[in-house]
Amino acid sequence: MIKYIIGRIGAMLLTLFLVMTLSFWVIRLMPMSIFENPEVPPEVQQKLEDRMHLHEPMAVQYYYFIHGIVTKGDFGTSVKIRPGLDVFDIIKERIPPTMLLNFFSLLISIPVGIIAGTVAALKRNRWQDTIISFLIVIFISVPSFVFASLMQYCFTFAWPLFPTLYNAQAPTVWVAFSSMVLPIIALSLNPIATIARYLRGELIETLSSEYMLLARTKGLTQREATWNHAFRNSLVPIANTIIPLITGIMGGSLVIEKIFAVPGEGGLLVDSILAGDHFLTVALLIFYSVISLVSICVIDISYGIIDPRIRIGGGK
Amino acid sequence: MIIEDRNHLPQEMNDIPDAKLALAQTDYTTDERFTTEPIGFYKDAFRRLRANRVSMISLCTILVIVVLALVVPNITGYSYTEQNVKQKNLPPKIPILENWGIADGTRTLTNIKKSSLDDAKRFPEGSVLSIINEYTVRKTEVVDIKVDYYAYCGAPETEYHWFGTDYLGRDILTRLFRGARISLMIAVISVVTNLIIGVIYGSIAGYYGGKVDLFLTHLAEVLDGLPYIVVTILFMILLGSGMLSIILALTVTGWIGTARLTRAQFYRYKGREYVLAARTLGVPDRKLIFRHILPNTIGPLITRAMIAVPGAIFSESFLAYIGLGIKPPEPSIGILLSVGQEVLLQYPYQTLFPAILISVLMIAFNMLSNGLRDAMDPSRRGEA
Repeated sequence: MIKYIIGRIGAMLLTLFLVMTLSFWVIRLMPMSIFENPEVPPEVQQKLEDRMHLHEPMAVQYYYFIHGIVTKGDFGTSVKIRPGLDVFDIIKERIPPTMLLNFFSLLISIPVGIIAGTVAALKRNRWQDTIISFLIVIFISVPSFVFASLMQYCFTFAWPLFPTLYNAQAPTVWVAFSSMVLPIIALSLNPIATIARYLRGELIETLSSEYMLLARTKGLTQREATWNHAFRNSLVPIANTIIPLITGIMGGSLVIEKIFAVPGEGGLLVDSILAGDHFLTVALLIFYSVISLVSICVIDISYGIIDPRIRIGGGK
Repeated sequence: MIIEDRNHLPQEMNDIPDAKLALAQTDYTTDERFTTEPIGFYKDAFRRLRANRVSMISLCTILVIVVLALVVPNITGYSYTEQNVKQKNLPPKIPILENWGIADGTRTLTNIKKSSLDDAKRFPEGSVLSIINEYTVRKTEVVDIKVDYYAYCGAPETEYHWFGTDYLGRDILTRLFRGARISLMIAVISVVTNLIIGVIYGSIAGYYGGKVDLFLTHLAEVLDGLPYIVVTILFMILLGSGMLSIILALTVTGWIGTARLTRAQFYRYKGREYVLAARTLGVPDRKLIFRHILPNTIGPLITRAMIAVPGAIFSESFLAYIGLGIKPPEPSIGILLSVGQEVLLQYPYQTLFPAILISVLMIAFNMLSNGLRDAMDPSRRGEA
């Protein structure tokens, strides 16, 4: 088991290193000047460039880049979005809204998805199932940003229930929360549908399996058999859907943050790409990679604990 | 000649002359010839697909959108780049429907000084339809009025923009279907490219196995470990905006799923007796791969491709939203959505139409792929 965990973590670190290397080379080889501000005097620019080792060959710069991250956690300095500020600090400042958004979406979508999927499977081919299946198709197909636009128009303009944009300086918790409701819902719909569809399929299959018949034969009621055998067994493979879910929510939150003007990492990434703030872009891409890689790693490991077959199959 | 091949018989049997032998069995038994038509796997799948009403409706919807995307931009009378600064943000105006009060090209203007209504330069003849509300603000009489926005902007009576115009006065109907054409093209080309790369990669890994497989699988695993968003964004930054770069960005990691699927199918089929038989007969590797094993994977591959198309359409819009879309002035559904989003509260129709189109398209593709998956499910062969 320990060997398995170490293997997973090693693979994660390797991938992370690959991402770092890839993003460094791709972004730094762009034919864009790092400084495009004509107001900065040439001497100052010269000094700054010296400090950031911009005159060295790329390979040496790459060494400084990796060295800075590994030893000092230094990702460089922002040059365009927030000139002069440490990239790491900018990112740190923006973490709370993004985390809240992503965390709440995940928190809502897992139980709601499980309930919806279970109801649909237990009431198979009845009206509850029809409605849920219909909603699943809609929520899976229609992109989250379309829902975001729709809800923004309906619930903030035509029928003003919630504020239009995210309120960063909210005086009370309630105000802050109400400005986050719509983005969270927009982000949750797709994951809810994904979980529900998966669980429905899985449960329907388990409910008709032979061990369910056995459980009934040995005297369990339908309810006990469903709860103790079918439901639990169907939940295990759900972990499979959670990895794409997390990355999906993160990707979606890039756009949703822009639509609702949430001061999070997503908006920052979009801005820094457009402005060509290379250090910031590289750091943000690494930030996103770390999150998705760590969540994949955690789920892989927990999956290995839940289901021993994975662990054994994981090796050669 | 009763014994045709005497070479393999023992010597003493070979020595027996034909005259001493007699046939033990004189009549032949044959199976009855099938008079019914054989139904192959794909024929059966297609029959089941056709019986599925939802799939057929989805298929028709997709075809209609494709036809519209091909035809509409050419017949609206506007080009997708034609700008008209005077006629910007015109509301939708559709013949026939306008008589019912929907999409009649009118808009409500609020807080207009009453005295300015007489100004023929600002409000041309016949542009003011009705006064909705009259009130006084700081001793000035102010009105809310309903105007024929087309006349207000000086557009001729015959001017019809079915879906209105955008912030540069470009016809949204033309741009929408031109955009649909581009989005569909990006989706289809990237999916086909993914399919080709994935099939070749997966076939090689699956067929040769051993060290080749180990290397290729691990390589794909490393690539797959890279977060999708990060890789796509990196590629878009590297290649610059444009249709080709979007397609390439969608292919970087998009083929891995196909490769995995193909590899699994190869592992399942390469040990079968019929493959062994073909190999024994001296069939070369290439032919074994493409003639004998690959056809088994076509079913799952078609289903997979169908599921991938809406995914690609989504990715394109996603990239457009974060500013890495295709080069302006060329539209795509994603570009239209993200541009419309900025003026959502003022001009909701600019978001509405692209949103409806992308939703319908995605739902149709998803339903069709669901139907295809059911139809191609080997365990349901022969079912109605």
